[in-house]
Amino acid sequence: MSRLEAKKPSLCKSEPLTSERVRTTLSALKGIVASCYGPSGRLKQLHNGLGGSVCTTSQSSALLANLSVSHPILKILTTSVQNHVSCFSDCGLFAAILCCNLIENVQRLGLTPTTAIKLNKHLLSLCTSYLKSEVCGCRIPVDFSSTQILLCLVRSVLTSKPACMLTRKEVDHVSTLILRAFLLTIPENTGDHIILGNSIIVPLKGQRVVDSTVLPGILIEMPEVRLMNILPVKKSDSFKVALFRVSLSGDLSDTGEGSVVVNYGVSLENAVLDQLLNLGRQLVSDHVNLVLCQKVIHPSLKQFLGEHRVLAIDRVGAALMEPLSKVTGTQPIGSLGSVSPSSYGNVKDLCTEKFGFKWFFHLIPNEATVCSLLLCNRNGTAWDELKLTCQTALHVLQLTIKEPCVLLGGGCTETHLAAYIRHKTFNDPESILKDCGCTPTELQLIAEAFCSALESLTGSLEHDGGEILTDMKYGHFWSVQADSPSVGSWPDLLTRCGCGLHNSLEELSWSFLKTARHPFAPLPCLPHEAVGSANNLTLDCFTAKLSGLQVAVETANLILDLSYVIEDKN
Amino acid sequence: MAAEGAVKAALQVAQALETIVSGCVGPEGRQVLCTKPTGEVLLSRDGGRLLAALHLEHPLARVMVACVSSHLRKTGDGAKTFIIFLCHLLRGLEAVTDKEKDSLISKNIQTHGRYWKTCCRWKFISQALLTFQTQILDYVVDRYLSRHFLSVFSSPTKERTLCRSSFELLLEAYFGGRVGRNNHSFISQLMCDYFFKCTACEGGFEEAFELVDDRFGELSVGVTGLPVSDSRILAGLVLHRDFSVYRPAGGDIRTALVTETIQPLFSTSGSEFILNSEAQFQTSQLWIMERTKAIMKSLQNHNVKLLLSSVKQPDLVIYYAELNGVTVVECLSSEEISLIQRITGLSPLVLPQASSQYEISSTALVKFCKPLVLRSKRYVHLGLISTCSFIPHCLVLCGPVQGLVEQHEAALHGAFKMLRQLFKDLDLSYLTQTSDQNYVPSPLIYKNRESNQLADTVNGSIQRPHQDPVEKNEGELAKTHTYLNTYSNSVVPSIELETHIFRSTPKVTPAGTQQTDEALGCLSANKTRIMDVCDLFIDGDPTTESTAENTRIEASFENVSIPKMGGKGSMLPVRCKSSELGTSRSCCFSSISAGCVLPVGGHFEILLHYYLLNYVKKCQQSEATMVGTLIANALLGIPKILYKSKRGNQSFPQVYVRALHALQTNQPMGGNQTGLESVSGKYQLLTSVLQCLAKIVSIDLVIGIKRQPQEVYDQESEEEL
Repeated sequence: MSRLEAKKPSLCKSEPLTSERVRTTLSALKGIVASCYGPSGRLKQLHNGLGGSVCTTSQSSALLANLSVSHPILKILTTSVQNHVSCFSDCGLFAAILCCNLIENVQRLGLTPTTAIKLNKHLLSLCTSYLKSEVCGCRIPVDFSSTQILLCLVRSVLTSKPACMLTRKEVDHVSTLILRAFLLTIPENTGDHIILGNSIIVPLKGQRVVDSTVLPGILIEMPEVRLMNILPVKKSDSFKVALFRVSLSGDLSDTGEGSVVVNYGVSLENAVLDQLLNLGRQLVSDHVNLVLCQKVIHPSLKQFLGEHRVLAIDRVGAALMEPLSKVTGTQPIGSLGSVSPSSYGNVKDLCTEKFGFKWFFHLIPNEATVCSLLLCNRNGTAWDELKLTCQTALHVLQLTIKEPCVLLGGGCTETHLAAYIRHKTFNDPESILKDCGCTPTELQLIAEAFCSALESLTGSLEHDGGEILTDMKYGHFWSVQADSPSVGSWPDLLTRCGCGLHNSLEELSWSFLKTARHPFAPLPCLPHEAVGSANNLTLDCFTAKLSGLQVAVETANLILDLSYVIEDKN
Repeated sequence: MAAEGAVKAALQVAQALETIVSGCVGPEGRQVLCTKPTGEVLLSRDGGRLLAALHLEHPLARVMVACVSSHLRKTGDGAKTFIIFLCHLLRGLEAVTDKEKDSLISKNIQTHGRYWKTCCRWKFISQALLTFQTQILDYVVDRYLSRHFLSVFSSPTKERTLCRSSFELLLEAYFGGRVGRNNHSFISQLMCDYFFKCTACEGGFEEAFELVDDRFGELSVGVTGLPVSDSRILAGLVLHRDFSVYRPAGGDIRTALVTETIQPLFSTSGSEFILNSEAQFQTSQLWIMERTKAIMKSLQNHNVKLLLSSVKQPDLVIYYAELNGVTVVECLSSEEISLIQRITGLSPLVLPQASSQYEISSTALVKFCKPLVLRSKRYVHLGLISTCSFIPHCLVLCGPVQGLVEQHEAALHGAFKMLRQLFKDLDLSYLTQTSDQNYVPSPLIYKNRESNQLADTVNGSIQRPHQDPVEKNEGELAKTHTYLNTYSNSVVPSIELETHIFRSTPKVTPAGTQQTDEALGCLSANKTRIMDVCDLFIDGDPTTESTAENTRIEASFENVSIPKMGGKGSMLPVRCKSSELGTSRSCCFSSISAGCVLPVGGHFEILLHYYLLNYVKKCQQSEATMVGTLIANALLGIPKILYKSKRGNQSFPQVYVRALHALQTNQPMGGNQTGLESVSGKYQLLTSVLQCLAKIVSIDLVIGIKRQPQEVYDQESEEEL
């Protein structure tokens, strides 16, 4: 009772968005995330000033997880982006920047939050229904008969993370590896439901990136000494495997809530060891070749098994249990007594391999959807970044299988979408006005704020002081280098649009993104065969981007709707 | 602190709270962001939560917050309105006392004397408030307000069926005040679907309400990182954990429940297990193994394919489950277990200590049992077959941040609380007091007596056509009952006839009753069953309505008139109670019956304001006049805030004038607001506020102490122990 303290009263602030402090912190956050965006984004080095590891990154997941934000409004923003990233892996920076832009733009207008929120929501639903519709001009269906588009997608993910420090050649190598690893997880014969396997990323730091490789089956790291001691003898064309979930160390498990009294002279250790050796005898007589245990195997049992040419590997860990059971087709054994013969599984081959300076056991399955991606990079931080990127790419591929289409990347989707919204609100405002009950001026203001939020998001792709343009036919994104002469014919200065679908030799007209343009209906992209031939496209994951867009607008609406902030100071 | 100062201070506190709360009230209200000391952020528009988050220090503020939270515990709604109404009451009270102070000063009373005088006066006011609330307020609500009530039930039959459209309107209005503007229609639609999916059969929704209210946490799953529009309803039950063993099985899946480990242990608590030899140890281990194996085998023999366990099962059990094709879910919380038990009526397995025969006593059938992946987290999805009136469904609530998901969860839970409250009859206090013989005479009791006498006369006159006149005696109460019974027993066609006679009684037999006009008014005021039946047939004001209007009575006998709700054109049944309903609850006297609603947008407040002022005009007592006017004016504060942002035709003065005009000319009150709100909730709020005010006013001094006040222990009960 003496430790009970009176609660301090909370701090209550009204209209938080109007305060100068919130605005500056918001724009500071925007500055951080926007400078990371895209292939030429700047890297951020995170360290705590007291030593310890340093994280060099430009990814939203690593950045936001380590960034401690002070203001509750920023906390809402960052957690909502983090939640999005944990669901979809990709498009975190996209959502964060868009959300900041929207808040800034709408706040500047000074409209009542009610109308702003209503209209934002309406514009969002316009966007989502357009992106989902058949007529959408920035969406490409995925053709699974060729790897072209999937490879482009993976490559786009890799190039957008500059902290991985990959050269062009390395990008190509790693993206093929990722795609191969992904394809290995797809089962060959499927029923109604496809259950994808998993690819396990095995770390190998300090090696060249091009040494990375993909292997079917599972790699278990082994100290070299132990490998020399016990090498299994090849007996047949497949190996019988027993996988134990229960500890084989001879410890006495839960004895209940009461007490157990052991009389003097009774050695439980011997009794348990007898039991373990009996188990060992059964395993030997069942012709098991490989014993795997999640926990620890008693040294005596290990020795016994070794004497009988049975390979024993312990301390596998809980994480590997599921893939191991999948690869070998075993049922994890939980009994020290009799083992049912149906619990055993088998592998096709078993070998030891050396990658870099590490030795591995390699379990090669007969047929399974588990593979190991052995990932190398020069140093620890770059490896961490590369691992995150690979996970993102694998997740993006999984999402693409569920929803077989991709969006144009490189800023083209955003500018195209902005052009579409401009055109729609300019030519057909009645339907929106009827639904929302607002004036045409309010609609025009909010639509402008929404579109310029999208466009200045694409502006964040350019970090080197170049100019951003858009063409007046497809509404794609074009950038021109900073040091180019200010006057000149555009087709000479520009080469390809952001996604790489169009080149400057087509007869197009351009306009600066910042200047006012007459609204036009953006044309859909090329017919499919042209898309197929273009092998250097920049693409984005459809599901992740769509959700990123929704999360950004919903979060912005949420923050705009705040009338008070109550801070608990306890 | 002087009592006068107390009111002033209370007003200051209430005003500060009002400014915060009024920003979130109504459909136009905005969100508030609360941070917890742990760093979590929470979005809320819930008044109770906001007040709690403020951690107020001021003693009067703490009194108010305590009153609000006790009100919330009862009804689960109305915290914001509570504060606004309280603030307006205090403001009115201050204005009144300011006026009187001037007159007091002119009388040149000594300061000390005046202090005590004001104290007495405050006590007096406090008492007046309470008397007003218990006597006059109930009377006014019953007498006048009740005829405006609508009902969420579509038919007046005994098994009350919900009218879906009015139910939707009710929920929409509720969520309009609870969740963010861009989500409220989606969430209310979700809630509506959920409700109708869970209670597919007619009636019996009280049980479902109770179950959902009690176990809401287990019936909803929050998913962060997805847009709100991804929220959905899943048939079946979602358990917040993954399978320990999953063996897909077809056909009929039977399930069993265990609350202990299946594998026998060496010793149970309080016992000792003595090991004498190694062989003994080995045999006992063998026995344990064999026994576990046998139990799992017998589960398989009984076709049990799913084992739900509240504890973690040892590896051995998991292994044998896997071998026998039994799916296992472990570590279920006690809430989940009790929910499953309530839905399926399953009882946990009792594992016999010694016998080798394992009888699986209780199993239940499950439609399906499959893993569910929500945002890369795995859940168990069970298709339980319900044995009660609740059909299990789960809500998956999505949102970009946890704070928003929690807000929606709280709002949905609150909605169930509100509905539970709405579907209960709320007894009013005032007629029950007439049966109390020791009741202090007041104008009110006078009227009641009158009306009871009239009830007798009417009783006789109605029964004349088909029954012998019942003797008059002094047990008025019993008499009313008799009347009720005979009335409700009569066959349907005769009801029309009876009403006809009943309505024309005053005209036909004016000599038989003492003061026809007055008595009729009193009869209607008397909220007995008779009045309920009466309400059925009239929708105008009974006192002003001419009894010759037989056609009108017949027209309204159709039971339903169709007022158009603004814009939506939905059909709303007029509140009507059949005689059947009456018999089932003939023991309760005056009540706001279950399912009574009024349109939102200050309807209740304006109506009550109007009738209170009307009452006050007729009333002679100065105290009651003062309190009545005070309350009537304070009531308007809520619609004032609701219409604050509206301009022109929809501004508050315009709406108010139109409503008053409509009331004076006996026309239905028009309103452009769609949505309904519970009358009993509003009424309870009113009484809670008045009680809170009475409490605040009656405090004359606040004393600061260093320690917590010592709790008063009930010494006798301790001695008994």
